[in-house]
Amino acid sequence: MAAVKRVAKELAELDSQPINGVSVGASDSDILKWNIVMTGPPDTPYAGGIFTLVLELPPEYPFKAPSLRFTTKIYHPNVSNDDKGAMCLGILRSDTWKPASRIRQVLEHAAALLKEPNIDDAVETAIAEQYKNNHEDFVKTAKDWTRKNAK
Amino acid sequence: MAPSRSSRTSLQSVDLRALDYLASPSANLLCPICHSPLITPVQTRCLHTFCSACISLSLERSLTCPVDRKDLSHDDVTPAPIMITNLVNDLVVLCPNRERGCGASCARWLVESHVREDCGYALVKCAKDGCDGMVERKDVEEECVHEEVGCQFCELSVRRLDLDSHHRECPKLSSECPHCAESFLNPDLSIHIADCPAEIIDCPASHFGCPYTSPRSDIDAHTSNCHFVALTPILQLHTERITTLELENRTIRQKLELLTPPRPLPTPSSSTTISSSSNPPANDGSSTNRDMTSEMQDYTYHLYSEYEQLRADVERLNAQIRELDVKQDMARINEGLRYNDEMTGMRAAMNGLRMQLHWLVASRRETGAGSGGAGGGASRSVAGGSAGDGRRMSDSVRQVMKL
Repeated sequence: MAAVKRVAKELAELDSQPINGVSVGASDSDILKWNIVMTGPPDTPYAGGIFTLVLELPPEYPFKAPSLRFTTKIYHPNVSNDDKGAMCLGILRSDTWKPASRIRQVLEHAAALLKEPNIDDAVETAIAEQYKNNHEDFVKTAKDWTRKNAK
Repeated sequence: MAPSRSSRTSLQSVDLRALDYLASPSANLLCPICHSPLITPVQTRCLHTFCSACISLSLERSLTCPVDRKDLSHDDVTPAPIMITNLVNDLVVLCPNRERGCGASCARWLVESHVREDCGYALVKCAKDGCDGMVERKDVEEECVHEEVGCQFCELSVRRLDLDSHHRECPKLSSECPHCAESFLNPDLSIHIADCPAEIIDCPASHFGCPYTSPRSDIDAHTSNCHFVALTPILQLHTERITTLELENRTIRQKLELLTPPRPLPTPSSSTTISSSSNPPANDGSSTNRDMTSEMQDYTYHLYSEYEQLRADVERLNAQIRELDVKQDMARINEGLRYNDEMTGMRAAMNGLRMQLHWLVASRRETGAGSGGAGGGASRSVAGGSAGDGRRMSDSVRQVMKL
């Protein structure tokens, strides 16, 4: 119950002071499930793309970390390339999450990762390799995916 | 009655966490866990402050500080300095019964006693013994408001609490028409209002610009000599024509945009403002239409850009294919030239070999014809042959040519 109040507060705050390129809204029936839309930052292979994400907050929030996943397919070293589209964020790991962390920070981290992937902490090691060693091909594929999936 | 009212205490509990604050409190006074102003603040060994309930919940899950993740045990949590407690307790909150109508606000530490003893909108137990119902403190009367009583006009029985709202719609009671001040029974009132002769209505041609208004009973006298009403059929026709033409115009413009090369968004806004200023009545009708067409416009733009992109792709591929063609041609020609060279070389080499053969055959014949027993001479001539090969060969070539 305490969770719901805090979540409502955080939602209202993000509504009045939005993060650049990120818009949030709770789903109609469940305030613990947020629908998030991120626009691909300019000067990245994701530019022009519109990516939808789902942020799920556990009932134990803020004592347990939320989870963030892409529902739009994206070619990114830190997003798992499967149906889940789970995003690997340091702040969300159970050994780094703390109740004082806020959803705002989570979303800011996610937006920053779109701008600059974190190669050392990749879930898709193959994509990370490509990002490092064959950057042109990475950019090409990421752009292709953006055009195909994120319009 | 007043003393009995105020002596009645409300059992309604106040959830301090759910309170609304008059002014948004300083961020320094918020608990990092629940993000609400601290309630019973406590302090940790690492000097972070939390609500007492929040930190207990957190420590149940993990024995670390929720802010800096340092190790923490229940013993490391002590009450916060009294000043912090006072600061949060002095924050002004709105009465939790605000939704029921209480406009009171007070310091947070007083809100519980306000609800328990003063608030007129707090729920208290009904005055009658044996009744379990709850009633707002201001409505407490000697008789129980939860008892069903018969309406004195109709045969329905309603709770005393709901009697007032029932009277407003009781079918046996009458109410006044807001226009003609005549009284009607409640069920008939709405029928009457629909055509009350006293209601002030607009001229039927008001949307074409007639400013005349009058009671419904007098409107007929006006319409019989209103110019606008007389012109209504023609105006109607024109409006319809303008609407269809506008629609047609829009589709044609869209087609045009699709066929001409892309340019920054054309100016549908300016064109619609022109049409709306010249033709206000048609404007309302076409607004939804415009939404739809703008959606379609977006869609056609999307298709167009897709098409452009595909065309660019195809052009790029074509250029690449052409380039590859040229490259391949060049390669083939180069190869051919090389083979030609090689072939002439081979031919020359073969000719040389033929000459050599001829020379050898000729020299063998010569030696055979000259002296029969000069085996050593023959071997010498072979050895000498290898030394002066070049010259002699060219000589022999000349001989063969002569032959």
